[in-house]
Amino acid sequence: MIAMAHDLSLLGPEITVLVTAAAALVFEMARSPRGALAVTIAGLLLATGLALPRIGLHTTVFGGTWRIDELSIWAELILLPATALTALLVRAELPGTDREGTVYALLSLTTFGALALTASGDLMLLTLGLVLTGLGSFALVAYPRDDRATEAAMKFFVFGSVSGAIMIFGLSYGYGATGTTLLSGLDRLGAMPLAAALGLAGVLIGLGYEASLAPFHFWAPDAYDGAPVSVAAYLSIVPKVGALFALAQVVRDLPGAPVWQAALAALAALSMTWGYLAALGQRNVVRLLAYSSIAQAGYFLLGVLAVGSSSLAIPSLVVFAAAYAAMNLGAFTITLETGRHLEDFNGLGRNHAPAGIAMTVFLLSLTGIPPLAGFTGKALLFGATLNAGYLWLAIVAILNSVLSLAVYLGVIVPAYRPGGAQGHRSVPATTAWSIALLATLAIGLAAQPLLAHLPYVPPT
Amino acid sequence: MFPLITVTLFLPLVGAGLLLAWRGASRAAVHAVGIVTGVLTLAGAIGIAARGVRPGAFAQLEQAAWIPTLGASYRVGIDGISLFLVLLTALLFLLVFVYSATVRQQPRAYVALMLLLETASIGTFTALDALLFYVFFEVSLVSMYFMIGGWGHEDRHRAALTFFLYTLLGSLPLLLAILGLYLGSDPHTFDIRAWIAHPPLAGAAATLALIAMLFTFAVKTPIVPLHTWLPAAHVQAPTAGSVLLAGVMLKFGTYGLIRFALQMTPHAFHQLAVVVLVFGVVSALYGAFAALAQQDLKRLVAYTSINHMGYVVIGVAVAALTLDPGVRALALDGAVLQMISHGLVTGALFFLVGMLQDRTHTRDINRFGGLLRVIPILGWSFVLAAFASLGLPALAHFPAEFQIFLATLRAAPAALIALLGIVVTAVLYLYAIQRVFMGRPNPAWAGLTDLGARELLTLVPLLLLIVAVGIAPGWLLGVIHQTTSTLGLG
Repeated sequence: MIAMAHDLSLLGPEITVLVTAAAALVFEMARSPRGALAVTIAGLLLATGLALPRIGLHTTVFGGTWRIDELSIWAELILLPATALTALLVRAELPGTDREGTVYALLSLTTFGALALTASGDLMLLTLGLVLTGLGSFALVAYPRDDRATEAAMKFFVFGSVSGAIMIFGLSYGYGATGTTLLSGLDRLGAMPLAAALGLAGVLIGLGYEASLAPFHFWAPDAYDGAPVSVAAYLSIVPKVGALFALAQVVRDLPGAPVWQAALAALAALSMTWGYLAALGQRNVVRLLAYSSIAQAGYFLLGVLAVGSSSLAIPSLVVFAAAYAAMNLGAFTITLETGRHLEDFNGLGRNHAPAGIAMTVFLLSLTGIPPLAGFTGKALLFGATLNAGYLWLAIVAILNSVLSLAVYLGVIVPAYRPGGAQGHRSVPATTAWSIALLATLAIGLAAQPLLAHLPYVPPT
Repeated sequence: MFPLITVTLFLPLVGAGLLLAWRGASRAAVHAVGIVTGVLTLAGAIGIAARGVRPGAFAQLEQAAWIPTLGASYRVGIDGISLFLVLLTALLFLLVFVYSATVRQQPRAYVALMLLLETASIGTFTALDALLFYVFFEVSLVSMYFMIGGWGHEDRHRAALTFFLYTLLGSLPLLLAILGLYLGSDPHTFDIRAWIAHPPLAGAAATLALIAMLFTFAVKTPIVPLHTWLPAAHVQAPTAGSVLLAGVMLKFGTYGLIRFALQMTPHAFHQLAVVVLVFGVVSALYGAFAALAQQDLKRLVAYTSINHMGYVVIGVAVAALTLDPGVRALALDGAVLQMISHGLVTGALFFLVGMLQDRTHTRDINRFGGLLRVIPILGWSFVLAAFASLGLPALAHFPAEFQIFLATLRAAPAALIALLGIVVTAVLYLYAIQRVFMGRPNPAWAGLTDLGARELLTLVPLLLLIVAVGIAPGWLLGVIHQTTSTLGLG
């Protein structure tokens, strides 16, 4: 019991998130969506505050199943504020709709699932995290209850059920071969390549779906486009980063690095290229950003595959995740304010100079132009890739960065054409993108506070 | 000690920030901010020059912690190679601010973008941290993209897009090379001085890094066959953009060729020097012959840029090839001086073409004629700049090209075939002068007015410097030589 209490005391932030979700539901029952919003933001910020003193901790709880390490702690520090900002976006997009308070509760619950993913030390927790994140996401997508949203949620759900089932099927081989569900037991797989391969394939499909990595991404553009923009923004950040960090947790203990690194490299190259090629022709900005987020997931894999072979890997994942959360949230927020269609952006930069500049900054940051956050993240990712010996993948990545510039300029150029872009400016949304803008600039210009607390030891 | 480089570097950025914040600024006020900032920055650059350089090391070092975990710092300083490039940059920007004082279309954004570009340019030449260098290098692309896309001519959107995509494709290999050098250095650092003192990579890794850097700087310089972005960008860019593109931004390529490729991977460069030399010769000849075929005056000047930058590449390649420190210093002296001369001469030529276009709204060589009688000051200025461009003695290009060819003669005489380029440029400029300024006056242009005070203010400093550098290059070469003679490459 004492051990249990000690373990629970280490999970302060997670427990706070759960309580926050429950509190939001209570406010919803009392027909006070404003109260639900307030308690959600307060609770998530409190959880962030509780996570701060844990920086540097490296331990596990519940018999090794829940890892408290740099990945899970930084996931809290990144995803919790991102969820709070998303709650602001929901307020901007869906104020006064029926059941508004449930959205806030669902956000907290889904984020809890994503945090469980990033802390996975055990196959069962991984599965649980995936299911929790998935269920919350389906419900969020279906929230508007119109035809588009229902269809999107349905697609999302079918894809999710199938890939979840395949993952569990694959994991059963891993369990059968090693006799444990602990990830730390995966090193025993070294002698059983077939079981290892099936297990890895299962994990890649399950997490690849959640992270919308090509070729498991087909649901993403439809789900993002069918869902409210604020929910799309959320899906592109929280479940994705959760799944990618979970993948990093899995490969940390996986033997046979050359094989799985090659598999991840192939997926990374495919995801980046497919995502940006598909984004090129999009006239719908939400779909464009959906494909862009598929490509960005490929960039994350550069860091994941270097886990274990480069000390830059974990810092690069964390910095890029922070950068990605800020710039992607910013881009979605401006889209929410301006409109889904490319034509809606005509003249944005002339009619609303600050919003135009902010969108330009977000998109250039997504491209990886210095001195913005995306550059810092990508430079670290490229360094980790080179360090792991994957020169060809680094070259594929930079070629895709050029392609991505063409994609993102497709939105920047109309913004500076003459046109009547109007959109709905609202205080919550403007607050959200202002914070995202500050974060995008800060991570780009002053990454030191972030890097100083990451386990990167340069050789002396 | 007063951080003069840092202040000079960020002054334009402060000006840009001021403009961004000052929403109601009148057009006159906006241009005044640009000109005043330009004057102060030039004063700063002159101050830096007055403090001077040191042989064998970087001078006026200023540094601060930036990302200590990664070994990246804010670190700036100058040596004989970068000093005059900083001066040239500050001068050309000031002249551009003066020339652009009539811009009516969104002047606030225009001047702010140019100020941003000025900080990026000075930063590129003074950064002594590779990550910092890369940041400035890329920021310059962004501001030039918006400059061409926002204020360019007819086909500006496509030209801007091509420019941005092409040069981003060009610069990303440099990022990989920088990361490779970083991972190879021990302890890990982005300090350019450390990389120069102890080149971090050897063998195949050094060759790969060098190839990546050569690609980047070949796009930027540009070296044939990676030059195709240049004519379109120049033709579509506003005059100010062309002047800065040719006068300042092309030098990023050749500066990087010396600072990065030559100084950080000297052995690999020595082995590949012949290849680079061949590309340099091809560039010089191709640029000259392609210019010969142009009917658009601006395209013509753009192609002669490729020719002149080809000579710089030849100089750097000869410096890498030769084992004789004397010849190396000679080649590099010529290459660095050629960069300055090209900035002055091509800057003047693009201004002149712009002034001509402002009056006639065309750049077609065949539609002019006899303009020397109608607008003599503009005409004679063009003749002077054109003579400088074709390498006439006592004008800026002559001492530079003379030294490059002298070094080439001693290290790789076969490369002297590039001298043919001078003959071709002479022919094409004489032909252009004849078509545009001599012959029977075209009655359509009878009422043209000659250069006004603002235009003279823009042009005269450049013309004076072209003559000054041509007659007495020693005061520049003395400073440049302090560094080039003490490079000590392996």
